[in-house]
Amino acid sequence: MHWGLWLSACAVICSAINPALAEMPTDSVSSQRGAQRDIVIADANQPVAVKMIDVAVLATRGKSAARHRWQPTMTWLESHIANSRFMLHPLTLDEMANAVEQLKVDFVITNPGQAVQLGRQFDLSWLVTMTSHTGESQTNSIGSALVVRRDSPYYSVEQLYGKPLSAVASNAFGGYLSLRHHLISQGFDANAFFSRVRFLGFPIDASLYQLRDKHIEAAVVPACLLESMVTDGLLEDNYRVIQSRSPAYFPCQVTSELYPNWSFAKTQRATNELAKQMSQALLAMPAESEAAIAARASGWTSPVSLLAIDKLYQELNMHPLHLPWWQEAFIWLDDNQQWGWLLFVTLVLLNGYHFWLEYCFNRNKKQLEQALHRLKHNGELLEHAQRVAIVGELGTSVAHEINQPLAAIRNYTEAGLLRIAKQRPLEDLVPVLEKIQHQVERVDNIVQRLRTMIKKHAAEKKFIDINQLIIDTMELLDFRLTKLEIPYRLSLQTSLPLCYIDPIGLQQVLVNLVTNAIDACVSAQHTDVTWQPEIVIESHYQDNVLTLTVSDNGIGISAEQAAATQAFVSTKTQGLGLGLAICRDVIEDHAGQMSLSPIAPHGCKVTIVIPVSLPQ
Amino acid sequence: MNNRLTNLPVYVVDDDQSVRESLAFLLEEYEFNVAVFSDGQHFLDNAALTQPGCVILDSRMPVLRGQQVHQHLRDNQSPLAVIYLTGHGDVPMAVDALQAGAVNFFQKPVNAEQLVAAINLALENSMQQLDKLASIDAYQSLTEREKDILGLIVAGKRNQKIADELCIAMRTVEVHRASLLKKFAAKTVAELAYIYGVLHS
Repeated sequence: MHWGLWLSACAVICSAINPALAEMPTDSVSSQRGAQRDIVIADANQPVAVKMIDVAVLATRGKSAARHRWQPTMTWLESHIANSRFMLHPLTLDEMANAVEQLKVDFVITNPGQAVQLGRQFDLSWLVTMTSHTGESQTNSIGSALVVRRDSPYYSVEQLYGKPLSAVASNAFGGYLSLRHHLISQGFDANAFFSRVRFLGFPIDASLYQLRDKHIEAAVVPACLLESMVTDGLLEDNYRVIQSRSPAYFPCQVTSELYPNWSFAKTQRATNELAKQMSQALLAMPAESEAAIAARASGWTSPVSLLAIDKLYQELNMHPLHLPWWQEAFIWLDDNQQWGWLLFVTLVLLNGYHFWLEYCFNRNKKQLEQALHRLKHNGELLEHAQRVAIVGELGTSVAHEINQPLAAIRNYTEAGLLRIAKQRPLEDLVPVLEKIQHQVERVDNIVQRLRTMIKKHAAEKKFIDINQLIIDTMELLDFRLTKLEIPYRLSLQTSLPLCYIDPIGLQQVLVNLVTNAIDACVSAQHTDVTWQPEIVIESHYQDNVLTLTVSDNGIGISAEQAAATQAFVSTKTQGLGLGLAICRDVIEDHAGQMSLSPIAPHGCKVTIVIPVSLPQ
Repeated sequence: MNNRLTNLPVYVVDDDQSVRESLAFLLEEYEFNVAVFSDGQHFLDNAALTQPGCVILDSRMPVLRGQQVHQHLRDNQSPLAVIYLTGHGDVPMAVDALQAGAVNFFQKPVNAEQLVAAINLALENSMQQLDKLASIDAYQSLTEREKDILGLIVAGKRNQKIADELCIAMRTVEVHRASLLKKFAAKTVAELAYIYGVLHS
């Protein structure tokens, strides 16, 4: 056959021209759009024009199965339409959509799901709908079957929640969407049901093979696939369909509703004249013809309504005319610009408000910190002022008390000297000296009284946590330490027992010692710029003896200064020398000992050792 | 030393017994006529305030402060001279005291020689003050006519001239002149003029 050979060659050339079609079978479609290919075969005398017509068909069970099913129909059409040559193109869902969009085919044969998907996006005219052997006017024969192995424990949809199962594709109609829609409309949790779904694609036979091989627990397949495969001997009859609801006229088991059968449609590439001839040829196809039997149809009828499928897509939020929410939002915004602007301004204002609040918060925080700083500073000043006032008062009082007898003594000595100058007899000096002695006794009394007065009330001892006392005390001094940039380190023994001591007295001691350490560090700061001050406070307990040390690396003390812990002796120009004396009194009150020792290269370490009694 | 002065009383007013007694002891050694008081009110009630003398006042005392006692003396035109001897003196207090007419202001303990010198000065001042007060008394007891004549006498005018200016008899002027000399205890017109000067200073 000459022209057949020629056509093959042409197909190869066409494939080369359009690589996009390379995956198509050898009887490929032309890359030329819109124009019918009229091939003129040079016969001996008269040229005959043959119309090349491309028909795409959804190859649900694989391309050879599709060709097996539909090629007789093509032959039927060729025999009824003169000078026509029908090319069958078995395609997947995506290939089909692509072919329609680019007008690579003249006609399509597809299931109702894709019919709606394509028909609502592209210009397709529905010519005829296939009828089944099921009944007189029943065209509804597409749906989903939920298949499980016969011996499996599953009898309801809920039992399969979270189980591994397969479906054809997320946009497959019989193999997924119709069941999903059915489950949702029946009130099942479709997401839970499909939580472990695997989409296996075409050919759909694979799903049932996976089920047979127990890789999955259930398979979602188009209705009649199971029966067809069993009839063809591809599977044994070892399966059942969950919640089968087949109507009486329908020979297959089905879980979902039934939807219209496959349809035949024309694209814009085909002429209306050709479409008319096609429709007439198909409508005329009898049920017993070879083509109808191969197509598993009882014939063809006028196109039926696809409204049920439109509704299904709408309810699944997948209708092709249903725009994504963000596109709809843009359209709405375009129509209601004032609201859009209002929203925009509101957003800007809210943002501004947010930043303003944050600013206020930061400012308040800063103010609070400053206030706290001021408060601490004032507290320090007040404490200092009080100390000065007390010392001043005490000093004035002591000075006055002692000045009086001193004045008297002076008067008596002057009088005595005068008597000597007058060369009075020695016994005349006796009363003078007696009076002087009397005054000295008075001074002595004053000093004694002062001592009694200064002596503090009996210390109140209780069981306390020494480490906590140290931490609390350092908090009191924290402000001064921070201000003078002197870091301190606490080396406290953990699990220190509660000690029976006078907390106020010990706190006084600690404050005094740390203050001394601070002063030592401040004095040392003037001498060396590279030196870093540090104060260390340690606590240690062993065998009923509590040891506290306060060390600094300040100017340090000399050996004779180490002995100077009595009152009113100070190494500081501004000190009263009371600190260490008070410390010594407190420590003695606890039957403890306090010692000062210089540390190398410079610095001072004060060690307090207190025997403590523990709670029984 | 002038006998008249050493016989004058020296009052010691101090609430502190030891200071009071030691001071008395010292001053008696210097042969002053010492009297002691433990507080200001007691002193004001019992001392001879109209007589010349010297009072050594402590500043800080109970009942009456030294300054209050001093004020009372001035208000009553006492000739007594005041010396402050205080344990807590400061500059403003000293300035106030001296401006109020105190002879001196000492801090305890005091150097005996300085104190004795101040006492002597005070007694002298006190005598002068007494004279001045007597003169003021005398002047205030004069009649208007006598005051006029006194003014003219001090201005150095003769009796005749005074009699002419005041349109009175010369004899009258002479009687007044003698009376004025007697009232101011002055022996000469020069002495009278001196007293007049003191009064109007």
